[in-house]
Amino acid sequence: MNPRAADVSPLESLLAKFLLYGTWLASSVIAIGCGLLAIEARSATPDSTETLPLGCVTAGIALLILLPVVRVAIMLWFFLRARDYRLAIAAALVLSTIAAGVAIGIR
Amino acid sequence: MASGIFIVPLLTVFGHIEIHQAIGASIISVIACSCGSAATFLNTRYTNVRLAIVLEVATTLGALTGVLLAGIVPVPFLFFLFAIILFVSAQQMLAKRGDRISQSQDAGSSPWATRLRLHSSYPDSLLGGEAKYEVQRLPAGMVLMYGAGMISALLGIGSGVLKIPAMDTALRLPIKVSSGTSNFMIGVTAAASAGAYFVRGNIVSTLAGPVAVGSIVGAVLGARILMRVSNERLRVLFVVVLVALGVQMLLESVGIHLFKSTT
Repeated sequence: MNPRAADVSPLESLLAKFLLYGTWLASSVIAIGCGLLAIEARSATPDSTETLPLGCVTAGIALLILLPVVRVAIMLWFFLRARDYRLAIAAALVLSTIAAGVAIGIR
Repeated sequence: MASGIFIVPLLTVFGHIEIHQAIGASIISVIACSCGSAATFLNTRYTNVRLAIVLEVATTLGALTGVLLAGIVPVPFLFFLFAIILFVSAQQMLAKRGDRISQSQDAGSSPWATRLRLHSSYPDSLLGGEAKYEVQRLPAGMVLMYGAGMISALLGIGSGVLKIPAMDTALRLPIKVSSGTSNFMIGVTAAASAGAYFVRGNIVSTLAGPVAVGSIVGAVLGARILMRVSNERLRVLFVVVLVALGVQMLLESVGIHLFKSTT
């Protein structure tokens, strides 16, 4: 069940660490923002201009969306370095499709 | 089993939240759950990252199509489609997925998969060593993945429910490899649509934030509870809940609201 550490390739190992810590970071930022929102909802005056808690939640969400995108960028870099151009093209295609989605969203 | 499939029905039917906002919130939770569990699958080497990046070309293109369709597709149709997906999930839960011991009904390894060096191996505890596998029918798998990506973007789900049959029937992967690889791909597929929904302003932070935190806590607690409950009971429970939610969504699609908003 437990493979030897040496069996896990450097790419897989890097991706595992990146995604694990990244998820913890992003979800902690969201959780802190949610906590601040809850405190604000109890105590603030109705016309409070405090936007920090909401900004915190939004930043956490943006971080979370960026995680898989950066993961593909890491893979692109690895495949380029390994001169594995076919898979590098696949990674580049995935990144450009995501970019196209964002461009469509902005429009 | 992904939790994403429960979020939209719960938010729309019981929370009376507009379906597009519910989809936006759900897709964020889907990313969190995929990325959060990816490390486990990667470290056990069940994830074929080479195959994943190739299939992601199709899933993200599907997601892009879904984003384009999301604004056009009428809301009742979204509810109807969701009901179908819930019923399909229930049916999959009923039919046990077994591991194929041998790949005797080989269609032969896909020449494309060979060219891209996608064949691999994983540590199998039953065989007590490395189990090699070959990726078959890659083009058919890509077409199915495109559909899965589109459904994922349209409904805000991970659509593992569609990815796993694609990997079982087209690519003929061992169950552990298809679970690990599918989980890995779900994050990128969801990020492709979430990115577009985010800049479009469809993701409401005050809803998506708490839902994401809730689903992460739920996933951690759920895994602990799952250990103590028998598999058979759990399966029956899941099937009942999936069918009940499916019926609800079907009723919503024809304009019947059993749980009316009291406010």
